[in-house]
Amino acid sequence: MRELMASYYMQGHQAECNAWITSGAPVELLYAMDIYPIYPENHGALIGATKLGSYYSDFSERNGFSRDLCSYARCDIGCVFAGTSPIGGLPKPTFLFACNNICNTVVKWYEVLSRIFKVPLFILDTPFIRKELKESHLRYVEEQLYDFIKFAERITGRELEDQKLKEVIARSVEGVGLYAHCLQSARNKPSPMNCFDAFVNMAPIVCLRGTDHAIQFYVGLKKELDDRIKQGISAVDNEEIRLLWDNIPVWYRLRWLGEFFENRNACLVADTYTNAWTGFGELKGNDILSSMAEVYTLSYLNIGMDRTAEIINHLIELYDVDGVVMHSNRSCKPYSFGQYEIQKKLSVPSVIIEADMVDERVFSEAQVVTRLEAFLEML
Amino acid sequence: MKVGYLCTFTPKEIIYSAGFQPFRVFATERPIELASAYIQSYSCSQARGALECALKDDFYAFVFTRCCDTLMRLTDIFEFAGKRVYNIEFPTKIGNVEYYLRELKDFVEVLRDWGGEVSFESLVESLKLYRELEEGLKQLFSVFPDYETAIKVQQIDVKDAIKLVDEKLKSAKKEKESPKVLITGSVCPYPKIYDLFREAGFSIKDDLCTGSRFFEYIYPTFEPEDLEGALRFIAEKYFYKSPCPTKHYESDRRFEYVIKLAEDCDAVVFLLVKFCEPHFFDYPQLKSELEKMGKKVALIELEFPVVSTEQIRTRIEALREVIL
Repeated sequence: MRELMASYYMQGHQAECNAWITSGAPVELLYAMDIYPIYPENHGALIGATKLGSYYSDFSERNGFSRDLCSYARCDIGCVFAGTSPIGGLPKPTFLFACNNICNTVVKWYEVLSRIFKVPLFILDTPFIRKELKESHLRYVEEQLYDFIKFAERITGRELEDQKLKEVIARSVEGVGLYAHCLQSARNKPSPMNCFDAFVNMAPIVCLRGTDHAIQFYVGLKKELDDRIKQGISAVDNEEIRLLWDNIPVWYRLRWLGEFFENRNACLVADTYTNAWTGFGELKGNDILSSMAEVYTLSYLNIGMDRTAEIINHLIELYDVDGVVMHSNRSCKPYSFGQYEIQKKLSVPSVIIEADMVDERVFSEAQVVTRLEAFLEML
Repeated sequence: MKVGYLCTFTPKEIIYSAGFQPFRVFATERPIELASAYIQSYSCSQARGALECALKDDFYAFVFTRCCDTLMRLTDIFEFAGKRVYNIEFPTKIGNVEYYLRELKDFVEVLRDWGGEVSFESLVESLKLYRELEEGLKQLFSVFPDYETAIKVQQIDVKDAIKLVDEKLKSAKKEKESPKVLITGSVCPYPKIYDLFREAGFSIKDDLCTGSRFFEYIYPTFEPEDLEGALRFIAEKYFYKSPCPTKHYESDRRFEYVIKLAEDCDAVVFLLVKFCEPHFFDYPQLKSELEKMGKKVALIELEFPVVSTEQIRTRIEALREVIL
């Protein structure tokens, strides 16, 4: 995993042209045009996991960016000001590609980057599907996909070939299928993995979706998980309580949280975050752009809360969990606002803990412990 | 019957033409009590304040337009709180009129379901009235930026609003020209805050949702001939209204707009509501551009209801002293 991602970042520096891209954007178009995708969000997660969130955020804050802004954005912009990062910084973008199917924050964040680097920015604007998906929404997004192709072709001088796009889509669907299989191995009792394993192993489906690298990685992971099930190896020794995690991980506390739950015989078998990428497996090989418009518009964070609650209840059933731990994440408003109401619609008890995905300064250990302990006792 | 809305991109002309009273919802002087049970404390106080109003006051329905992430989720939260809501998907990327026209047509159907019929005649009349109000406000602000009136007219019948602006215009005294401050931000529904600037010796110009962004439009040049034409007129009118940081414009139109507004000002104050991401993302780079122009820039962060005006007064007076 570490080698794969090190090689991913290294190749980014060597690529002739690259695009910085948001985690919910249709990366298949880039891979089909040999444009190397760079993920500032993944970079942000990596900074969080190395516990350097506040360090790099500080570079942004000193340049006037508020501490209340998304910490992925603060860290990413901070690394640009710092001229480095835990992996030596990201390569300068040829252009920027942001899709607001995960939040409108990325639009502002990428506008900032566009002014810093003085490179073109393409916004793929996906309507928010609060209730039903309308034909007009799909047409709007599909038209923009055609616009994007023209935009990328103009900047790079490369042409998108249908056949190549079909091949990338096929690899993407295969990769997502394998990835989903890995996540679903946690349906086994006891579970061979927990959500912390899923968080650590999600980078290839985000960054390398549509390549053979992702397929090979998840083939290997699938085998390992299947073997663990056969041998009766579980993520938590005495799995008594099965839980579901909601929201982006608290990257700088993965190990701490993992041990906290393990010591109490509780296993967070699944989560809404890593499961969000399984939806991209619905892409169709024919009528690609129309299918792409639909799949990417209906991403997990771009739907109304009724539907979100339905999906969480489906995961509760699928993984047979006893309770839900909801991370109220100061950095992610679209993921967190509404949690109070979603809680009331869930079929099992839930608890909310306040934290931030990358900025460790807002983490209050005593408060989190109190809430979680009371919740586990109640279960 | 009152139909509440929060964002200046809401096509209030259509709501009015269907027989409803468009009512802009702001945070009030009331402390936020009930809303805290529905949304986290790191949401902006405009959202929490508006939710508080929705929970306590009488509205027939609420209309949202896609702007920031908070309002996007607030629509559902209002619905869960038992309110009748509709969300118009105003595009984030300004450009595709045809797409937005389809959204407006759907909205007309929703109003019909709510018991309000939109006809070509009623919509043209509504467009005429709102244009009269907007041009009246523009005139009033060119003499004296009257925020109390600008806020009030968003909560009363448009015909009464036109009369009110006319009366104010008759008695308005020309504000002295210098030194002038440009106040930029989202909403500030408390007239007393603007008074603080005047008391410190500033004349005011603004780029605010509770000020000029409510009435600054570039109107389409065609005359609508049918209902679809009138809806198209509205789509274009709102696409080319004073730009807002929640939207993405070709060639950084928002920055250009603020920079141009600041040209004849001595200072710029970013009057920002805490947790307002769209404005806070723009702030550092826009500040830097304004400083390159030689403008003095200050940031004042607000939370509603405003507890201490004296702290704000001190900041404004300090800025005034720097300019002298």
